[in-house]
Amino acid sequence: MSVEPTPTSATSSTRPAAPGDPVSRRWVEQLRPGHARHQQAVAKLHDVLERAALHELHRRRAQLRALSGPEFEDVAQQCANDAMMNILAKVDDFRGLSRFTTWAYKFVIFEVSGKVARHAWQQHPPSTEEMVWEQVPDTLGDRPGDQAERREQLAALTQAIHEDLTPRQREVFVAIALNDVSIDVLALELGSNRNAIYKNLFDARRKLRARLADAGYPVAEEKARP
Amino acid sequence: MIDLNALDELLRAQEGDAGCDAGVPIMDQYVDIVLRGEDPSKQFPGTTIHLRVCPGCQADRDGVLEAARRFGDLAPD
Repeated sequence: MSVEPTPTSATSSTRPAAPGDPVSRRWVEQLRPGHARHQQAVAKLHDVLERAALHELHRRRAQLRALSGPEFEDVAQQCANDAMMNILAKVDDFRGLSRFTTWAYKFVIFEVSGKVARHAWQQHPPSTEEMVWEQVPDTLGDRPGDQAERREQLAALTQAIHEDLTPRQREVFVAIALNDVSIDVLALELGSNRNAIYKNLFDARRKLRARLADAGYPVAEEKARP
Repeated sequence: MIDLNALDELLRAQEGDAGCDAGVPIMDQYVDIVLRGEDPSKQFPGTTIHLRVCPGCQADRDGVLEAARRFGDLAPD
């Protein structure tokens, strides 16, 4: 796991007063306290953030089955409010490496993401069956002729999950990889965060892949996808 | 070698994966690169790998991309 590189100019201590393209600069200038157009700029940005939040909530509506139409609008407003507060607090952190609006949309989408996950977790926390298991379900591969080989491979995988993973790695792998529990829902259930859970999952997968290879059942080589 | 696509997916853990946190500060840059029709893997190789695997980060990337496309680059005045 690593941090993505950023251009060195972005970390300069002599940052321009309002960086970025001309439109982005106007956003930053007008969102600063004391600007003559501060209120108008805040209102305009809040309006588009709320519309973006509502659109995103509808895009993720499969995880929001308990919400009705008016509740969508309430949650969208909450997301826009929270994003707006963050943007105003961090407006001078904007470095002009993207368009200002894309930078702002990021805040509201992350708010939606967090609220959707919390709602899904409150409505449907992971069941015991999704967190604990005994046997890898035999749903991997269905080609005729390799049934025996597949059973052997699944047996090796089951053994590796039991023997090679830490309890946390096993819990995370079983929930996410075998039971399709959302990574964010699991993070809330375990009092953790997405990055830490992903690290558990990544390490579990590497261990299992290595163990299967050692046992004579190598999985196809990982290839970069287009 | 047993080549089961499903098992490969189940155990996908690619070298160079930057993880979830690395994508948070650069997600806006990543999306703008995509919107310009350029290849984000050149500037952000680790996050590009990560986004192929992590559904949570994929959903966030898709959300920012959709918002930027749909609501555009409006001006404050």
